[in-house]
Amino acid sequence: MKYNRKNIFISIFWVVLGVVLTVLNFIHDFDSYWSGLGTAFIVVGGIQLARQMKYRKNPEYRERVDTANSDERNRFIAGRAWAWAGYIYVMAGFIVIIVLQIAGLKELSQTIGFTVCALLILYWVCYLYLSKKY
Amino acid sequence: MKNRIEEIRKKKGIKQDEFAKLMGVSRQTISSLETGKYNPSIFLAHKIARYFELTIEDVFIFEDDI
Repeated sequence: MKYNRKNIFISIFWVVLGVVLTVLNFIHDFDSYWSGLGTAFIVVGGIQLARQMKYRKNPEYRERVDTANSDERNRFIAGRAWAWAGYIYVMAGFIVIIVLQIAGLKELSQTIGFTVCALLILYWVCYLYLSKKY
Repeated sequence: MKNRIEEIRKKKGIKQDEFAKLMGVSRQTISSLETGKYNPSIFLAHKIARYFELTIEDVFIFEDDI
């Protein structure tokens, strides 16, 4: 329940942030990016809030969510899915970098190269941390 | 790793979803265990064996890969 309360506050925060962005954009007329972001925050926060309220009020749903969250196969699959996604991103990134270089889009190629390098550095940092932890 | 979960569970007359609830996992996890698609953690293996009042070796059949 403590966890649920924390999630409710986070959901409310996203909705409030979304409303603030939308209102500010309405008053100052910035650009569509900010109103779009505000709407996205309201929608995501609203959905999360509805889920949290259902979790709080519906014991069957709560049990189902708790089981799904603690289920070891689910966690195993989630871990594997992240690992696959990361690996595919790096491999696809290398191919895209080469293709973009050949196509003469050097700036875009460099930007993607930086994100791939950042992901690899992050991987090594996580690996070192986890190897010390376990 | 093979196991006798399905055989023992059926002998005891427990349904997959009931057994999943007792073990604190999803029904899909029990199904995957029974078909051998997923190998359980030592904690879950221990919990299952203890529920059946058997040892881990009685429920799970370890096979050497070599």
